[in-house]
Amino acid sequence: MSDAFAVATYGLSMRYGRETALDGVDLRVPEGAVYLLIGPNGAGKSTAMKVLLNLERPNEGRVEVFGLDTASHASEVRAQVGYIREQHEHEYSWLTCGRLIQHVAAHYPTWDQAYAAQLIEAFGVRVQKKIGALSKGEARRLQFVLALAHRPPLLLLDEPTDGLDPLVRNRTLALLAEHLADTPTTVIIATHHVTEVESLADHVGVLRDGRLVAQMTRDDLRRTIRRYRVEVPEEWQAPPELRIASLRRSRGGREAQWTLVGEEHDVTARLAAAGATVREVTPLALEEAALAFLTEEGAPSWK
Amino acid sequence: MEVTLHPKPRWRDVVLEQIHIVGLSLRPVGLVIALVLGAGTVVIGSEILGGGPGFDSRETFPTALISFLFPFAVWWREQRFGPAFLWTLPVERRRLALARVFAGFVWLMAALAGFAVWLFVLALIAGAGPAHQVTRIPLVETIAAYLFGSALLVGLRHPLRWLFGAAGVVFLTGNLSQMLERFYGVQSLLGSRRLYDAANDAGDVWLRLPPPAQWAIATSLLLGAGLLALWAALSRHRERRRL
Repeated sequence: MSDAFAVATYGLSMRYGRETALDGVDLRVPEGAVYLLIGPNGAGKSTAMKVLLNLERPNEGRVEVFGLDTASHASEVRAQVGYIREQHEHEYSWLTCGRLIQHVAAHYPTWDQAYAAQLIEAFGVRVQKKIGALSKGEARRLQFVLALAHRPPLLLLDEPTDGLDPLVRNRTLALLAEHLADTPTTVIIATHHVTEVESLADHVGVLRDGRLVAQMTRDDLRRTIRRYRVEVPEEWQAPPELRIASLRRSRGGREAQWTLVGEEHDVTARLAAAGATVREVTPLALEEAALAFLTEEGAPSWK
Repeated sequence: MEVTLHPKPRWRDVVLEQIHIVGLSLRPVGLVIALVLGAGTVVIGSEILGGGPGFDSRETFPTALISFLFPFAVWWREQRFGPAFLWTLPVERRRLALARVFAGFVWLMAALAGFAVWLFVLALIAGAGPAHQVTRIPLVETIAAYLFGSALLVGLRHPLRWLFGAAGVVFLTGNLSQMLERFYGVQSLLGSRRLYDAANDAGDVWLRLPPPAQWAIATSLLLGAGLLALWAALSRHRERRRL
């Protein structure tokens, strides 16, 4: 993986009327990364994807994809991208799957006919079937064929597993993993179903209310966010520096549980210095760690 | 990771594919037109063969109005605004919209050619002489109407709400045409109506053509206005520039 960024946004802000969809977002997605963009519904994930493709116009800030400014090189940027949008419905419901594939292929000089045929078979796409007659899952599989067959350097997948039953989902993710192994690709996956795709991810960004509240590698996330079970004296008050580092806390009697950000030995030392006795430190699963950023009001930014 | 940037599609490939896909989307419309013309052939043919008065295609088929409405058929299955599928393709949006308008134009011309052939066949059935077989298709009006209709569809989110506005445009176009007729006598060429009316005297037809300069001015005005309207509409879809 190189140090260059496949995608970089600078102070990206986007408003729909009075509603803020993105607020000063500074995404940094390294080339070759599989970046999970996590957030609840309405956090701004889909908007961010659309802005990357120049389908939506940001009110402030700018976007670079492989060094190309999307405002001035939008079509060049889209030529680098395989995009699966959140919606399953397709405007061309009157076309057959095969004809839509042919239509999309005509717009990508790098379309790999043999690979497309392979994907069609692997995803079980019925080329004669009308798009309007596809189930959610079938539509999603067709979207995968369209997004992967030109072997784009960047994949933008917006809730890619949405609508897939568990069996098909596993098969689809396995095919995606195969694709990533064969083709050098940077991937951004926007989702709120973290567990389904976490095995692919190596970078994580957390969006909340349009703000990027966390952005780090998966390893950093795992290493620096832990749950601490501590025993504290009566009337104990957490020191200010711990309040800042706290993502989630609960307290019952003299025992408290904190989800804290920081290197374990530092945090343990700070807790001890504050008079708390650390009883247990538990690493969190990726989803749990990411969710921690979403639950605490006023959680600080960790980028 | 070594990234090799992918090229954009060739303009020619985009246009050809748009012609194909627009052709496919127009199939239901084509079917309806074929049915109408088929039924018309039966009715008119039986009338002609029965010694009836025949028909005046000028009154029967308002080609300019049909051309004005044709863009609705070209775009009706397309989401024109917002983050639609069309705009996810790796082509500059304004050029892509232009390619689609052009594709519609190609099919419109094909339909008009088919219509001219149909008229010609009817004329043959009626036993008309060569002078009567002048096919009356007001080409410039038709093209201008298509351009205005396309501008309406491409430039406005809710073209049907602007139908009264469009009707106003048609009305103005008609008035402009009359005005041009008064000043330049171009209606005889634009609408070919005099060609038809004077068809009994083919020599007269050609003598009554306007001077080329006047024809060029009038044609430029009409088509220029249409192209200007289309360009303004296409500009709504231009790629976003740096703020």
